[in-house]
Amino acid sequence: MTDQLVHVENLTVAYPMADGAVFRAIDGFSMAVKRGQIVGVVGESGAGKSTIGKATLGLLDENAVIDTGGVMLDEVMVTRLEEHAFADIRGSKVGYIYQNPMTALNPVLTIGEQLIEAIEANTNKRGQDARAYAIDLLEQAEVPLPEERLSKYPHQLSGGLCQRIVFAIAISAKPDLIIADEPTTALDVTVQKAVLGTLVKLTRQENIAIILITHDMGVVAEMCDYVYVLRHGKLVEEGSTAQVLSNPSEPYSRELMAAIPRIDHKIERFAVPGGLGKAEDRERAIDYLMSRKADAGVEGAPLLSVKNLSKTFTMKATALKAATDFKAVSDINFDVFPGETLGIVGESGSGKSTVGKMILGLHKPDPGYEITYKGHNIDDLTSKAQKLAHRQSLQCIFQDPYSSLNPRMTAGDNITYALRAHGVLSRAQALELSGDLMELVGLPRASARKMPHAFSGGERQRIGIARALSFRPDFIFCDEPTSALDVTVQAELLNLMKDLQDQLGLTLLFVSHDLAVVRQMCDRVMVMRSGEAVEIGACDKVLVAPEHEYTLGLLAAMPRFRPEEVA
Amino acid sequence: MLSFVTKRLGQSAVLVLIMSALVFVGMYVVSDPVAVLAGEDFTEEDRLALAQELGVDRPLFLQYLSFLGNVLQGDFGTSFVYNRPVMDLILERLPATLEVAFFAMFIGLVVGIPLGVYSGLNQKKRSTKAISFFTTVGYSIPNFWQGVLLIMLFSVWFKVLPASGRGDTVDVFGVGWSVFSLDGLSHLMLPALNLAIYTICLQARLARSGTQEVMYQDYMTFARAKGISRERIIRRHLVRNILIPIVTITGLQLGGLIAFATVTETVFSWPGIGKLLLDSIHNSDRPVVVAYLILITLMFVTINFVVDVLYALLDPRIRYT
Repeated sequence: MTDQLVHVENLTVAYPMADGAVFRAIDGFSMAVKRGQIVGVVGESGAGKSTIGKATLGLLDENAVIDTGGVMLDEVMVTRLEEHAFADIRGSKVGYIYQNPMTALNPVLTIGEQLIEAIEANTNKRGQDARAYAIDLLEQAEVPLPEERLSKYPHQLSGGLCQRIVFAIAISAKPDLIIADEPTTALDVTVQKAVLGTLVKLTRQENIAIILITHDMGVVAEMCDYVYVLRHGKLVEEGSTAQVLSNPSEPYSRELMAAIPRIDHKIERFAVPGGLGKAEDRERAIDYLMSRKADAGVEGAPLLSVKNLSKTFTMKATALKAATDFKAVSDINFDVFPGETLGIVGESGSGKSTVGKMILGLHKPDPGYEITYKGHNIDDLTSKAQKLAHRQSLQCIFQDPYSSLNPRMTAGDNITYALRAHGVLSRAQALELSGDLMELVGLPRASARKMPHAFSGGERQRIGIARALSFRPDFIFCDEPTSALDVTVQAELLNLMKDLQDQLGLTLLFVSHDLAVVRQMCDRVMVMRSGEAVEIGACDKVLVAPEHEYTLGLLAAMPRFRPEEVA
Repeated sequence: MLSFVTKRLGQSAVLVLIMSALVFVGMYVVSDPVAVLAGEDFTEEDRLALAQELGVDRPLFLQYLSFLGNVLQGDFGTSFVYNRPVMDLILERLPATLEVAFFAMFIGLVVGIPLGVYSGLNQKKRSTKAISFFTTVGYSIPNFWQGVLLIMLFSVWFKVLPASGRGDTVDVFGVGWSVFSLDGLSHLMLPALNLAIYTICLQARLARSGTQEVMYQDYMTFARAKGISRERIIRRHLVRNILIPIVTITGLQLGGLIAFATVTETVFSWPGIGKLLLDSIHNSDRPVVVAYLILITLMFVTINFVVDVLYALLDPRIRYT
């Protein structure tokens, strides 16, 4: 038994495309992993990171072709094995951890069945032995009340617990290697830290090596000894974690590091290319946007003031269950001043998006609330014209750039269809305006004629911004606008939003789960937990020296990306 | 649970009320029972007497109210044509229909689901293309024509299965069933097959699209990565998940099979309830039609309720939150 466990040698995985061309998901990539070593593979989406793990386990799509090279696992060339031969590798030699534990576990089978079937497939334990071992594994993975959990279903447990169960499945046969594909991306930051701790503990006990596939430099900094940086399927740079993170030698790695939002200090702009379109192109759009009715309410008064905002959702009764109430938001109060950005942070389910949706009028708040916008109570608006003006003045940028554009309309129509529906614009004016706005957000004017699927996620989000701007709004609710994007794309988009805000004096309500992004974007921040506001104040205070222990916990749990300290 | 059941019961009561009113008005508009039943030599007085005897001389809403009163006492009235209690007529024939419908559904599920799962898993194989060809054809050919073809094949050419009637029946709970005797079973085969072809095709298509969807879910990849056998992945991970949409459609379809087996019953001279309905509409025998449709409405309500319960049993996400 040698010290060398995995050897990826000049691996190329190709997918034939419809037009006869070939797409290389991973191209001539080599890496080595020693026993017990934790190796990071980082890169943005489409870099081919997951392909490495899937090739090792024989889980590539049917049409994938291994062009050159292969993966050696313990002196066996696994990429040449037939499907049935993988029975000795999957689960028993290599454990796999999936990105999203909620989708990796089968929703209609109990935790016990899913864990025990893995034990029975890969060890010689059967029946009661297997069950006892399952409980033992769950204990090791730090799942509280292990015996009780066996009869539960995945949706009854939190994401963090589900991921611990996936860990228990992955280590059940004491494999030599675990491939962890974005193991904490779907988890909240407070959960992430503890879950990673458990993973390291479990693998250290058994001297299991980990290939950690991730886009999160903070996680890499805290966990890995050695790191490979990938881009478009090719290796950009490799080296010890300290060296790659603090002193990257390749331009792409440097750009990647510069794009990571930092929690410890605020910077004016990210050092990445991109942002607004060219100055001469965007003048007309700026003129249009500045021509909005200058009715910002009373000087010095808040633009938006929210009092006693609560929301209760009622879940309907079904055949085997009574109706239940769920309080998503309770008694929130805050002001937003003209030109400022107020952030709302909190973990998933804390009610942050619901607050925004109530302000936009997409959800009806529980009675007893008061929302004042530009000095008027929004429930006092009676005439159709007043209501329309109010709605146009408040706009939204959505989280998911893929589902928030109508896939059957061109980008330009997506930007202007609402204004066309209001009858404000003629067809020619709409074309003109959508072109202007495309240029403003840094996209070529001509691409307004393309359909949404022809754009990347970041470009789609730019279209989403252009659509929000088309109404000449004063206030934009940004609902996790960059959480679905890669870090360099996120940096470009955040730069763009800052520039637009500077130019137009927009007021933003910025919802995010990422404290570092909020630190970079917001003036003030409100921290929410299970529907309640625990703390509100200036970012420089709340995110530096918080008063509430929940905020303190959130900050402590964030994986730190501080290259100067790694080195 | 209790509030759910009471709500459902309330809804179905309203449904039955609306439905019976519609049928009352509909039958009144379409035809006059006196005109159908009266002989050619009836005088005006005879007709009046007949109308009085049938109770159709009074205003329609009074007839409806007294009908409702009777129903609440468990009396669905007397057939105009057979002059017998309506419920007796219906219960005599219902078992034959239930028998053929359930048998057809059984064949449909047992053949259709495995076919669908197989073709979903092996999308590129020739056999899959053949299955998809036959399911499309089976889906599109009219029911009555399929029936005639079946008779030609199995009764005329091969002479293996009888083409009409119920054959020997065995009494269970005081009702005759064909399914329990060999001769009865052979008589049941063709009508059941006739009804089953559509069900097979529908279930195969449902199971195939379900399989194709579930196959690419993360938990299927993860199950493979766990190293468990392919057979187990299909049996536990895949089939459990595709059953959820299948149960919904099966419920709807079972109702359909029972309520609208009329064509098949006619083709194979199967003495079921469909034929009774057709004859009664023809003879404007309103009590039979109304009682039949109320029964069918209640049956749909019951099936939907069972589907909801099965749903919750199959999908733990509905059961616990």
